[in-house]
Amino acid sequence: MIKLTGIKKSFGKQEVLKGIDLTVEQGDVVAILGPSGSGKTTLLRCINYLERPNDGEVAIHQFKVDCKRASKQDIHTLRQKTAMVFQNYNLFKHKTALENVMEGLVIVQKLPKQKARELAVQALEKVGLGNKLNEYPSRLSGGQQQRVGIARALALNPEIILFDEPTSALDPELVGEVLAVIRKIAGEGITMIIVTHEMAFARDVASHVVFMDDGVVVEEGPPHQLFGTPKEERTRQFLKRSIQEWSYSI
Amino acid sequence: MKLDPGFIWTSFVALLSALPMTLFITVVSVGVGFVIGSIIALLRIYKIPVLQHIAAFYVTFIRGTPMLMHLFLIYFGLPALIDAISGAFGWTFTSASIPILVFVLISFSITAGAYLSEVIRSGILAVDKGQLEAAYAIGMKTPQALWRIVLPQAFAVSLPNLSNSLIGMLHGSSLAFTVTAVEIFAKANIVATTNWKYFEAFIAAALLYWGITVLIEKGVSILEKRINVYNRGGVA
Ligand SMILES: Nc1ncnc2c1ncn2[C@@H]1O[C@H](COP(=O)(O)OP(=O)(O)OP(=O)(O)O)[C@@H](O)[C@H]1O
Ligand SMILES: [Mg+2]
Repeated sequence: MIKLTGIKKSFGKQEVLKGIDLTVEQGDVVAILGPSGSGKTTLLRCINYLERPNDGEVAIHQFKVDCKRASKQDIHTLRQKTAMVFQNYNLFKHKTALENVMEGLVIVQKLPKQKARELAVQALEKVGLGNKLNEYPSRLSGGQQQRVGIARALALNPEIILFDEPTSALDPELVGEVLAVIRKIAGEGITMIIVTHEMAFARDVASHVVFMDDGVVVEEGPPHQLFGTPKEERTRQFLKRSIQEWSYSI
Repeated sequence: MKLDPGFIWTSFVALLSALPMTLFITVVSVGVGFVIGSIIALLRIYKIPVLQHIAAFYVTFIRGTPMLMHLFLIYFGLPALIDAISGAFGWTFTSASIPILVFVLISFSITAGAYLSEVIRSGILAVDKGQLEAAYAIGMKTPQALWRIVLPQAFAVSLPNLSNSLIGMLHGSSLAFTVTAVEIFAKANIVATTNWKYFEAFIAAALLYWGITVLIEKGVSILEKRINVYNRGGVA
């Protein structure tokens, strides 16, 4: 179980997260929705301390990190328990697909090369890139790069994978392949939080949907409830707008 | 004026005996300078309190003064300092027992360190911040992330500038002749004065410097092609 309690984060005078509480159960697929600038990315980055929260606690099972007291070692441990898939992939440019996936296994988890290689190949095959093991990122399409990014996260066997708009940098025709991979691993019981603007995807794949606005969680619940019978006016407005945009884009 | 082409060749052969000294001075000062430069660059990028200001002062002072000046400051200043310290502690050690070459190497390393720190710094800053974040996200510690992810990419970006610095130090090493270290330039001077054929001797020296420079450029461009395999785009 992953539990966030009272997460606050400010940049200068601007308070971007105003005390976020969120509980993610084992095997949950949590989708976070919300308008641009509402703090979704910042929240994800607070979970693995790419941003250090100003206040609050991140707990993964028994392991609790209070931001007031977080040591380097705590942060390091937290990062070993989590993995992240970035909006713009952030693959290691000077490493092949296989090396990208092996890097954390060998350097962080200290697995023997042979074992790491096996796991990396497995992960890349799972995302449908068994035939691209030795390609550099510059020679892969955006969709393929993002699938390597997912394999890199998956291979580490983390407690949770954090996805930050994994498809929003992709050409529309490449979105499908990446969503299909995420859907597949979601089906395997891997705990994840996905920040996304893909409403249909969130509705179909998520087990729990969170709507954020202006640094707070406005409403959360199972997808049928949040999409079907949203309680809050702000949620209704947001969904109405998003679904309009969504239908325009078709 | 009469040119003796045959003597150019004779000088050239004579100069080859000084080539190892030139290469030694260049390689050591660039090597040590690279280590100094990396430390200075990291101090400044990570804005380490106090040290970053000392680092910035070092870089502006060294880049703002001629290399020959560094050599003279070290060559005349350091022995006096060493003797003063040695005297104060009552040691029998004196700076006279330190080979001149040591002062040359110290001075040129200090010079190279300042120039290389700028090359390294801009190389590191050219690497996308996302690379470091991805390294942290998979659980790497800062030294691992720098060493395995950021620095290799920074090195690839910086290769052309590193090559320029190396060539600059190669040419700069000729200044060592002023303190009687016998590298190519000093040797050319010796060959010239003993035979009264200045022009020929220095033409030979010029050809030798030029030759090494061309070799460095060729070597770097091969290295660059190899290292930059990963940048060759074009979706498969
Ligand atoms: N490093 C930073 N420094 C200063 N301000 C920041 C920083 N990162 C984010 N912000 C600000 O914090 C607010 C929330 O940003 P965040 O990226 O979390 O939003 P988001 O919900 O992910 O938006 P989007 O849907 O556009 O990705 C924004 O106003 C943004 O400008
Ligand atoms: Mg965002």
